Amino acid sequence: MPTLTIEPIGETIEVAPGQTLLDACLRAGVWLPHACGHGLCGTCKVEVLEGEVDHGGASPFALMDFERDDGKTLACSAMLLSDTVIEADVDEDEDARRIAVDDYVGRVERREMITPDILGLWLRLDGAGLDFQAGQYVNLRLPGIEGTRAFSIASSPTEPNLIELHVRRVPGGVGTAWLHDELKEGDSLDFTGPLGRFYVRRSAEKPLIFLAGGSGLSSPKGMILDLLEQGYSEPITLLHGGRRPCDLHFGDLFRQLEAEHDNFRYVPAVSQPEADDVWGGETGYVHEAAERLFEGRFSGCQAYLCGPPSMIEAGVVALMKGRLFERDIFMERFLTAGDAEATARSPLFRKI
Amino acid sequence: MTPRKMSLKQKYGAYTRGLDWKPTYQREDDVFPFAKYEGIKIHDWDAWEDPFKLTMDAYWKFQAEKERKLYAVIDSMAQNNGQLGITDARYLNAVKLFIQGVTPLEYQAHRHFAHLARHLPGAGLRVAAQMQSIDELRHCQTQIHTISHYNKYFDGIHDFTHMHDRLWYLSVPKSFFDDATSAGPFEFLTSISFAFEYVLTNLLFVPFMSGAAYNGDMATVTFGFSAQSDESRHMTLGLEAVRFLLEQDEANVPIVQGWIDKWFWRGYRLLSLVGMMMDYMLPKKVMSWGEAWETYYEQAGGALFADLARYGIREPKYADVAKAEKGHMTHQAWGIFYNYTHAAAMHTWDIDEAHMAWLREKYPDTFAQHYEPRYRKWREQAEEGKRFYNNGLPQLCQVCQIPMAFTEVGDPNTISFRVSEHGGDRFHTCSDGCKDIFDHEPEKYAQAWLPVHQIFQGACGGATLPEVLDWYHINQGADNMDYAGSPEEEQWNRWMEGRRPVVPVAAE
Repeated sequence: MPTLTIEPIGETIEVAPGQTLLDACLRAGVWLPHACGHGLCGTCKVEVLEGEVDHGGASPFALMDFERDDGKTLACSAMLLSDTVIEADVDEDEDARRIAVDDYVGRVERREMITPDILGLWLRLDGAGLDFQAGQYVNLRLPGIEGTRAFSIASSPTEPNLIELHVRRVPGGVGTAWLHDELKEGDSLDFTGPLGRFYVRRSAEKPLIFLAGGSGLSSPKGMILDLLEQGYSEPITLLHGGRRPCDLHFGDLFRQLEAEHDNFRYVPAVSQPEADDVWGGETGYVHEAAERLFEGRFSGCQAYLCGPPSMIEAGVVALMKGRLFERDIFMERFLTAGDAEATARSPLFRKI
Repeated sequence: MTPRKMSLKQKYGAYTRGLDWKPTYQREDDVFPFAKYEGIKIHDWDAWEDPFKLTMDAYWKFQAEKERKLYAVIDSMAQNNGQLGITDARYLNAVKLFIQGVTPLEYQAHRHFAHLARHLPGAGLRVAAQMQSIDELRHCQTQIHTISHYNKYFDGIHDFTHMHDRLWYLSVPKSFFDDATSAGPFEFLTSISFAFEYVLTNLLFVPFMSGAAYNGDMATVTFGFSAQSDESRHMTLGLEAVRFLLEQDEANVPIVQGWIDKWFWRGYRLLSLVGMMMDYMLPKKVMSWGEAWETYYEQAGGALFADLARYGIREPKYADVAKAEKGHMTHQAWGIFYNYTHAAAMHTWDIDEAHMAWLREKYPDTFAQHYEPRYRKWREQAEEGKRFYNNGLPQLCQVCQIPMAFTEVGDPNTISFRVSEHGGDRFHTCSDGCKDIFDHEPEKYAQAWLPVHQIFQGACGGATLPEVLDWYHINQGADNMDYAGSPEEEQWNRWMEGRRPVVPVAAE
């Protein structure tokens, strides 16, 4: 398949024959400005720097002759005829590192249940290991199972040879059942990575809030370890939510980090404790705990959300109510292979 | 060493915000006197994110090429008697409504965006308003040039700007826009850029442009394509403007909500003209008003308001009324025109059997029960030589200015009207939506120029219908009355003789 490189962010993706550039970009998590989606409005105009495209059904009024001569095309209509480089109206991100995506093989060095339904996996890599930004994910290829399964990296980039993944058992899920039931220590796993644009925008130097739901702790764990190792000086708050105390993994680790770092705060919250649970901490959903902790005002901070879609949505609503908006909200939705397509959205928000 | 080529964003920044300056010997509040009185609080104009980055030099190149393409089609239409390619001469009544009612609004939009381009304190927003001002002027001109070909052969188009200022049904769009341009800059942005050009735009644009395509009016279709890339810029401006207001200060949220409520209802009432056009005036139909409302408002608008809920914005007040009325509204509007076509600069006609079948199919819950019997009765009267014309003057809604013919929600046999008192006078409105708008600013709407009141006050050329029609510049016996028996019908039939069999006009 031909590849498409998007400047100025430098991301390279694959585009299937007959697939439009816009479709390929959006599916790969690269947001391009767009509106009508069928070649009439011109909102998604990009410049072709190298390579060749077929303009598809672009309207002669939305993509003028002089623009075709000048190398412009409409991403929503254009298809690739060769490997191509485009420049689009997207912001360069000084916090993004350009790391080539590659295929890797890891050996399962350790596996351990870290909550009643989350399996921790530690994969040993040979050689230089995996270079990645804290918060990114990898796509696992599981034997005999169609497609790939995405898992965020829970370890710090300072350990490129030992990659930590957290796998929640999805009821009825084929991929997670295989990892839980079949995979043994010493087995090999193929994966592709690093992927995703969920990483800390530390250049903004703002206080950071992490909202993690259940197994959504994985990315925040890696990000916080990395930040503290690098000596990030602004306040960092981690709110981790689970149903019961036993669902909150790595509590000891975070309490220890809280003792060692003045700028780090750890707030676990349980939403549905049972009668025999011993719990003295926050009760309720993680966004409710955040509202109490910040007295409903989040402006001036940056927030990172990671977890299931319902938790993300509730978190975004709470943050926006507290006057924190899209430019300071970053998220990684944990969708399972069985999750339905997203519901219809308006073009009001780009990524949240 | 040559410097690196500027990125699109840097270039746009240099050509827009880079040209701005801070006043030193005048106070900012004196330079921008309209910026604060609406109560909108803006703390950081630099937080405005330009929703599109088109520099003026590129803009000129664009519009020049668009115009070359459009005028080539207009020329070819003129050289090849393009008016013969339309489905039926009745289609032209949609075009008449467009040039009489919509084209002058494009000019008003041009003027008021020029005002915003002067008076908004943020440079990014000023440049966007300046570009849109030029777009609107171009739309006005190209619409006039496109439609002027039909003016050579058809009636009711010859004096549209004069008619726009005087005719009873054209006071509906005129007063809508006057309301917006006499509001402050932020209310104007919310009303025109957001509520109208974003939330409701597809309900105006799609019916007219698709209607043109379905009915063989290639010149108007080409105009539509040439305007569409501008319209998408206008839409993103509206969306960005509302986002900006909502994010700048939470005190802005209730103000913006009030404007969304008001302008949703104002826009919806205005669209009753468009809905009537879709259901009654296109010989070959595109979709029904009810279907369009479901697709473009209930679905697309539903997704938008679900997203806006995160800012604390709810769905417009009375959106439920619009939904409940969708099976009634267009039939009642057509009824008004059928009653008063002797005083209109366009034609109406008997609804034939094929058209009635289409309406029964599209409105299974309302048409056969409430409206079909009415059309049959009118047909019967016409066949007896007693075609019904309403010779009284209707009461108009003080806000939307539509004759009071809409019915209560859930009761299609009772006319809906509301009464407010202000300054010792009673003012009538057609609905809770319009009454709310009146009651919020009674000083404003008490001044409305209502065509019926003006006739009674002797301000419209005289006391008799022919005198008023002369004052309207209606060419009596040609511009007005039924299509059947009009000079236009006679001309069309003559043109079509021997060209193709006469097809009964109605549904697809």
